[in-house]
Amino acid sequence: MDGLLTGALYALIGMGLALIFGVMRIVNFAHGAFLMLGMYASWVLFDRYQINPYIAFIPAGIFLFAFGYLVYQSLIRPIRSRSDFMQILMTTGISLILVDSVQLKFGADYHQTNIELVNTPLRFGAFTLNAASLLSFAIAGVLIIGLQQFVVRTRTGQALRAIAQNPAVAPLMGINVTRIQGLSFALGIMMAGIAGALLLPALYLFPSVGEDYTLKAFVVVVLGGMGSIEGAAIGGLVLGVTESVTSLYLGNEWALAVDFVLFLLVLSLKPSGIFGRQRA
Amino acid sequence: MKLPVRKFLTFLIPVIACALVPVFVHNDYLMQVFFRIILFAALGLAWNLVGGYAGQLSLGHVAFFGVGAYGLAMFTARGVPVWISIFLAAAAATGFAAVIGLIVFRLRGPYFTLSTIAFAEVLRLGAANLTATGGAIGLSTPALFRPRTFFETHLLSTVQQFYLAAVTLAAVCFVINYATSKSRPGYYLMAIREDEETAAAVGISTAGYKLRALLISAFLTALGGALYGSAFQYIVPDSALSIEISVQMAIITMLGGAGTLLGPVIGAILLLGASEVFKNRFQESHLLIYGILIVVVVLFLPEGIVGGLRHLFRRGMKSKPPSSVAQSPAVAEAKGGN
Repeated sequence: MDGLLTGALYALIGMGLALIFGVMRIVNFAHGAFLMLGMYASWVLFDRYQINPYIAFIPAGIFLFAFGYLVYQSLIRPIRSRSDFMQILMTTGISLILVDSVQLKFGADYHQTNIELVNTPLRFGAFTLNAASLLSFAIAGVLIIGLQQFVVRTRTGQALRAIAQNPAVAPLMGINVTRIQGLSFALGIMMAGIAGALLLPALYLFPSVGEDYTLKAFVVVVLGGMGSIEGAAIGGLVLGVTESVTSLYLGNEWALAVDFVLFLLVLSLKPSGIFGRQRA
Repeated sequence: MKLPVRKFLTFLIPVIACALVPVFVHNDYLMQVFFRIILFAALGLAWNLVGGYAGQLSLGHVAFFGVGAYGLAMFTARGVPVWISIFLAAAAATGFAAVIGLIVFRLRGPYFTLSTIAFAEVLRLGAANLTATGGAIGLSTPALFRPRTFFETHLLSTVQQFYLAAVTLAAVCFVINYATSKSRPGYYLMAIREDEETAAAVGISTAGYKLRALLISAFLTALGGALYGSAFQYIVPDSALSIEISVQMAIITMLGGAGTLLGPVIGAILLLGASEVFKNRFQESHLLIYGILIVVVVLFLPEGIVGGLRHLFRRGMKSKPPSSVAQSPAVAEAKGGN
């Protein structure tokens, strides 16, 4: 059960990356750093203005959206058509800058966010659930469905899928590729930021907290199949459950290692992802 | 074939100059800095074989580095003499590279990079959780060198000897890079970098050559890792297997110029020199300068410093009358074609 709850947050992180990497083909190695930024944004709101993280995720998300758009326009757009190699380097650089700027500003100390909700157990028959993780599960669920609907139903979402299918033809159909790409990059970053804000009550906060999440996000996207936003949502849940099963049987410290083994297995055995269709 | 005496001298003189540094510098802190610079120049050159010439962006080279460091500690702890265990560790890293290579070279682009990271991370987490590797507490590494006197009067400190070992390793790496840049397998690697499909179509065994480059690179990287581990006397998963080292190897090479001979050397001097200066000023946040350097290089100098200088140089040549420029027939032909 816990696995599903964490999985929803993984799904949120993964869907953000699926938008950026799967759909827009921008290899974002700074995803975890943006998540960390979301955590700090929400922590600052909590620490300075006593805003509950379950409300602070909204301003944090808006801030990350704007920040993501800015990063896209200034740093990603100029290298959009360069090789993966360059994109990986660029986003690794962005990640280093973000992590170290935060460290300069807030120091390397660990911070904890104590809110009542985290210690409130809810009983459902045999299960005991944590009220806080249930709430973040609900928020993540709403956002996941919202994003999925946005991509499928709206005109902008349609344009987005058109670019994903054929980046060369889309501009000929009158789609402003730069605008849409910037928008989806910003949306993806926003998702990571919100996930970070929702994770805040459950984790210790320190500048490099996001590092593992970059890799986890890629694991989720690969599990779900490239370019599939729904796949990423399922991939997130699968990862969450795998992790909690691993923690149960092998111990918490092996969870991340199992993530990577799973990742390598999927990549070498079924590169299109567990739920992905074979691409020509 | 005539012996390239001039080339040999232009290689030998800087190496001897580097080797003579301990004669003049006796400050242990400075020697420590020089050791790190030369060691990372060697590591950059080792990475260059895979990341530069073959164009495969590996961010998992710390795996080989770590196997080198941990191998040295573990073999020696079981009674193997240190100098033998260094090479055993490097051989183990090469074997590991063969396994990794078989899997990761089937993947392209970001998937390749991600899977190299995943392998390195699995190793790090394994080392952090197994008792054989000392877990998160780590292992102490054997000393490769002790202070010794020569000519009765001169004392060669441990750091100075480590420095000389790093210079030797860097020189070996440089020679291998040079051989790669001038040989058939090296040309094949560059062809793979430029266009893997076409390279395969003209009959190059792309997987085979990439794997060969990785094996050599892993061997050299492991030697560097063992030196590093021994110099710092103690290794923990977060030092000897940290992804930061992979990133550093890649950035040093990219900053100087990937796929060039001098690039990794220049990159190591610049990056480690800069980080040393910034470390004294900002303590923990010296990585910030790495980040900014990367962003600047990617935006303005995509071919690195050496590549950028080469462009400048060529442009300068073009403005002169063409008769003064010794053009190779290939370049002339390419120009005529345009």
